[in-house]
Amino acid sequence: MYTPWTYNSAPTEIIIRNSTMNSDEQQQLKSWLYDIATDRDKNAFTALFSWFAPKIIQFGIQKLNTESAANELLQETMTNIWRKAHLFNGDKGEATTWVYSIMRNLSFDMLRKVRSNREDTLSEDIWPMAEAQLVQEDSFDDHLMSSNLLKNIDILPEAQKEVVKGLYLEEMSQEQLATKLAIPLGTVKSRLRLALIKLKQQIGESK
Amino acid sequence: MITHHPHYELLNAYVEGELPASLSAGIAVHAEMCEICAKNIQRITEEAAANTFSDDANVYNSLSKKVITDKAFDNISEFDLMMKSIMEDDSITEMMTQEPLDVEIKGTTYPLPTALRSMAMMGWQKLGKLSRARINLNEGSLHTSLLHIDKDGGVPSHTHKGFELTLLLEGSFEDEKGTYVKGDFIWLTDKHTHTPHTKEGCLCYTVADDALQFTQGLSKLLNPIGKFIY
Ligand SMILES: [Zn+2]
Repeated sequence: MYTPWTYNSAPTEIIIRNSTMNSDEQQQLKSWLYDIATDRDKNAFTALFSWFAPKIIQFGIQKLNTESAANELLQETMTNIWRKAHLFNGDKGEATTWVYSIMRNLSFDMLRKVRSNREDTLSEDIWPMAEAQLVQEDSFDDHLMSSNLLKNIDILPEAQKEVVKGLYLEEMSQEQLATKLAIPLGTVKSRLRLALIKLKQQIGESK
Repeated sequence: MITHHPHYELLNAYVEGELPASLSAGIAVHAEMCEICAKNIQRITEEAAANTFSDDANVYNSLSKKVITDKAFDNISEFDLMMKSIMEDDSITEMMTQEPLDVEIKGTTYPLPTALRSMAMMGWQKLGKLSRARINLNEGSLHTSLLHIDKDGGVPSHTHKGFELTLLLEGSFEDEKGTYVKGDFIWLTDKHTHTPHTKEGCLCYTVADDALQFTQGLSKLLNPIGKFIY
């Protein structure tokens, strides 16, 4: 199983073949994800589910060998998409890459359960990117600050407005705000993320 | 500067989630310290995603032995039910913020890489300048450890029956082929014999699939060290 890979080959930058996904399709997937994130949009989720399901089943059968395991992978992947859509950042990558990472992580943990009889979920530590990419960009960039973004603050639900005001008008840190509002830091970050998506949609930067 | 990196095939298997946890973690930790490999992993992931989800996916996958049966799609209502049950729960997953973890050995504290933070780590065992903490992943013949070598310490000349991955987390060491620094991903097989030695001390993450074989005399005497390190 373990081929003796050469161990000190100097890596070069890998050239990737042209993707067979067209950009309209990628835009459509992104837009469904944004609708799920901001509005819990069931039609968008239904569309996204139908688009990904056959391919996830196919991947599951290849990696996990049985149809029942593939079905479990589908269920888990789609549940994660439904609950984590607000963590997707379309500026950083395609929807397909994000969904693939979620699916691969779940499949890794399922495989590990079979091979090593362990119920741990190490994938989240091994591939923290899906969530971690947010931690690095959990603030508005200058370009957005200088735009009219904050003028649209009134379209936001109260909870998100409170977070944006605290961070950008009262200039509190995320930690200070979490303490003041008595909510976990993660909730501050999630609300900020949702507010960002919504405000960007408003001025037509996303979608 | 890092000069030792995982080979393309290894990165590819990592991206597809096919490597054992021990090796996957080794690559993840290396990529945290190596921009080139991090970038390549990102690209391979994009490509794997596009291949998996493109409309050509059927053609692409027909090369493999397992071709999906139509049966899986027969029961549309089953998928319908699944979809509805998912949407019934309206909760969202909050982002987790994680406190950094440390590991302490011989009076020095080292930050524990993210990829290792949930792994079951046993206590430190010490033998002279060597200290080892086994990481219990239950991966059969694959043995994973943290290995610390104190200042001016080393391991006697040895080779490997299978392979040995050494990932330098802190410090540096030398062997017959040169000097290795923090971040180096060193993959040795039975073709390699070496005698690692460290001046400043080092902390390594190691994955080995077979006991070391000592190549010099006194092998009986050295044997416990082989078992100790493996
Ligand atoms: Zn590298």
